[in-house]
Amino acid sequence: MTTLITKTITKICLPLVILFSISLLLAGHNNPGGGFIGGVMFASVIALTYVAFGLNYIKSFFNPDWGNWFGFGLLLAALTAFSAIAFSHNFFRSAVEFIHLPFFGEIELVSAGLFDIGVYFVVIGGLLSIFKNVGDDE
Amino acid sequence: MDSFTAITIAVFLPFILAGILPTVEKLLKDKVGWYASAVAFLSLIMVAQVAPEIIHGETIQGTIEWLPSMGINLSFYADGLSIMFGFIVSGIGVIIMSYSNGYMSKKEDLPRYYQQLLFFMGSMLGMVFSANTIQLFIFWELTSITSFMLIGYWRNRPMSVYGATKSLIITASGGLFMLAGFLVLHAITGTFDIPTILHNESIREALHSHNLFIYALILIFIGAASKSAQGPFYIWLPNAMEAPTPVSAFLHSATMVKAGIYLIARVHPIFSGTEAWFILVSGVGIFTMLLAGFLAFRQTDIKGILAYSTISQLAYLMTMYGYTTHHEPGIGVAAATFHLLNHATFKACLFLVAGIVAHEAATRDITKMGGLRKEMPITFIVATIGALSMAGIPPLNGFLSKEMFYESSVEMGHLLGGPYTILIPALAVLGGVFTFAYSIKFIDGIFLGKRPSKGLPEHIHDPSMVMLAPAIFLAGLIILFGLVPSIPVHNFIEPTVSGILLEPTTLHVKLWHGFTTSLMMTIATFILGILIYTQYDRIAEWQNRFNAMFPWFSVNYYYDGAVNNAKDVTFKFSSRMQPGPVKNYVIAVLLLTLAMFAIPATMLATNFIPQNLNFDVPLYEGLIFLFMIIAALGAALLPKYLPAIISLSGLGYLVALLFIYLQAPDLALTQVLVETLSTIIFLLALVKIPQKFKEHIPTTTLARDLIISVAVSAMIFILLINATQGIVPPFETLSYYFIEKSLALAGGHNIVNVIIVDFRGYDTLGEISVLCLAALGVYNLIHSRGEDE
Repeated sequence: MTTLITKTITKICLPLVILFSISLLLAGHNNPGGGFIGGVMFASVIALTYVAFGLNYIKSFFNPDWGNWFGFGLLLAALTAFSAIAFSHNFFRSAVEFIHLPFFGEIELVSAGLFDIGVYFVVIGGLLSIFKNVGDDE
Repeated sequence: MDSFTAITIAVFLPFILAGILPTVEKLLKDKVGWYASAVAFLSLIMVAQVAPEIIHGETIQGTIEWLPSMGINLSFYADGLSIMFGFIVSGIGVIIMSYSNGYMSKKEDLPRYYQQLLFFMGSMLGMVFSANTIQLFIFWELTSITSFMLIGYWRNRPMSVYGATKSLIITASGGLFMLAGFLVLHAITGTFDIPTILHNESIREALHSHNLFIYALILIFIGAASKSAQGPFYIWLPNAMEAPTPVSAFLHSATMVKAGIYLIARVHPIFSGTEAWFILVSGVGIFTMLLAGFLAFRQTDIKGILAYSTISQLAYLMTMYGYTTHHEPGIGVAAATFHLLNHATFKACLFLVAGIVAHEAATRDITKMGGLRKEMPITFIVATIGALSMAGIPPLNGFLSKEMFYESSVEMGHLLGGPYTILIPALAVLGGVFTFAYSIKFIDGIFLGKRPSKGLPEHIHDPSMVMLAPAIFLAGLIILFGLVPSIPVHNFIEPTVSGILLEPTTLHVKLWHGFTTSLMMTIATFILGILIYTQYDRIAEWQNRFNAMFPWFSVNYYYDGAVNNAKDVTFKFSSRMQPGPVKNYVIAVLLLTLAMFAIPATMLATNFIPQNLNFDVPLYEGLIFLFMIIAALGAALLPKYLPAIISLSGLGYLVALLFIYLQAPDLALTQVLVETLSTIIFLLALVKIPQKFKEHIPTTTLARDLIISVAVSAMIFILLINATQGIVPPFETLSYYFIEKSLALAGGHNIVNVIIVDFRGYDTLGEISVLCLAALGVYNLIHSRGEDE
């Protein structure tokens, strides 16, 4: 699997796909996209990198604990859901706020967006930790 | 701060501050135990703040709404009983966590240890202040779970794991009986609120004549007895001694095992004054008191002696709370409450001594010890005070409450009349005799006599003040409570007894009260106790012989049998159910689904294909379908793995393309990504498989699989073609609701995403939790398999 073609394509894809996955995450509320899709995209490109370059080689300089990613993602999602209670609203009530910034124009801030970021990290962390554990297994 | 807030803080502070304990540990390193004791001290202050009001005879109650529609709220109720327990739990908590600083080696996993201790303390406080039976049950089970984790603290010792499992099985399932009892109580009274039942006389009277009364009583009593190791449930407590000694002192002598006693005292006003209460509570109490006191003789582990003694002392409390008649519902309540407080002081003190001795002498076997009084003089004095208090020697506090125990036994026997006039006091004295004997053994075996020539370290000495001071403090309390009983009686016992009997009570406890019957009984106890002590070793030997001869004559025999059988049965069941290979499970699932669809469908429908079908398919959609069929055939028929996989993922991408034509961009995007990821995983798996060609499949198998596939595909086809018309009656589509509300309520244009993160956010939270669990599951599967090899 570790042919030169795969390696070269992976190298080019990696930054682009990561950027695209972030843009999917952020655009999700109004356009196609969202935390789940963005997360799967991020996970796929990292998985592709693992396959193309070999897990051990990648691990020698880039070895995050994906367990932390899904742990904190779940925490963020749960906190967002619970934070509504602190403002005396129902569990999971979301809030929307529009703000104006110079150069950027109108920006929409949604509390559900934070939840989506949580989903994003859970999907990345969950998929990649499964992938890495299975891949590591001899 | 008002009192309700103080109680809420006392309960939740340990949980919150335990949450940040690992972070604190990074700063304080091995001094983190002092942080934990500071937290316990804060809870103690909060409890103390409420105490003056309670002593003045008031009660405190407050509610935070939780499930108001079901009458279940987070509500706290404080009266004398809860405040006394609050003091014992947080006070002993401070002592234990300070002591642990000396006891626990710096190499241990300290954050886990202190975190669980604090969780336990919070649960225990939550339980004693609960005003709601459901809430009480939740905190009750939390104490069982934290106790399970603390007993199993040394995870790789098989006996720890055995003891932890045993305690969890017995106490947690006992808790379920208690829950059933609470539900019966709710069925009778219509409320989960404890103060409502306590303070409403008409409810209590109606309860006594209700025909479900006895079931509620028995179920709740099973819960209490399992937690307090009474009757046949006693077997978990001796095995719980595998926990670190401070844990045993805290959970398994002073606080958690008293939860059952607390429950009995709490429901005392509801159930007492009936024969059933006396027979059940006192009956089981007296039986356990004698049995456990007797069985303590053959213990050689010093913690084992203390464990059996704890069971026996808890049985005293049960017995006393059980003394009741129609006219005088609470004969033994004052005595029991006083003894409860005293037991917490002297037993915690003795456990701390046991910890010190085990720590210094590196053994817990009493047969290998002796003559340590010269090397550990301070420990010796402290231990003597504790043990003599347990034996009931004046002027220590154990003497006072033991006198009160005898007094109430005489009164109860007198009120029952007949043979009971003699029988009940006699049994009480017998219990006291056993207690006297093993208390003396504890001192004599460790500190008196001759030092054995081998088996002990050469230099044994008193430990540092970190470990000694808590024990000395408790010994001081023992003497103080004994000499000046009015302090505990006025501040703790009177409010508690008033809380249980529901009327203001004044008690007069004096060290010297003349030559009464109870004093005679005490003297008889000492004489008989000394006599039986001379035969101590012979009795222990006889017990060992008996046990070897009749191994089936013990509860443990049946517990082990049941647990081991359950393991065998489930193992056989699962190997019968899942013998492999995976293909068979898939076939089973498919056939079952097919049957679930086909049977009702053939019964309901006459025509499986709807009449007015639209065959006007655009050319590009038709082409996609054609390619999809080709790709599917390729995945099934290609002989090599790699082309087959490529073909399969081609099929997936074609489906994504179809989604785009059907105007579902989110779905298409997801399909593309999931397909990509699964292709990568397939390729990864392919690297590890040595063969490149698919294995040969026999024709019969192939035919069978083909039939199943065709049948299932036909089912799906019929199901889908009837989705909007035909067999299934047409239903209103949900999408209009989301289309209308998406922007207005959630501020998003992408309805799919708004549904995921907002309208159905609860589902998503569940799904991502499942994903996390799956990832953890894979981790465990792979890593636990590695360990076995």
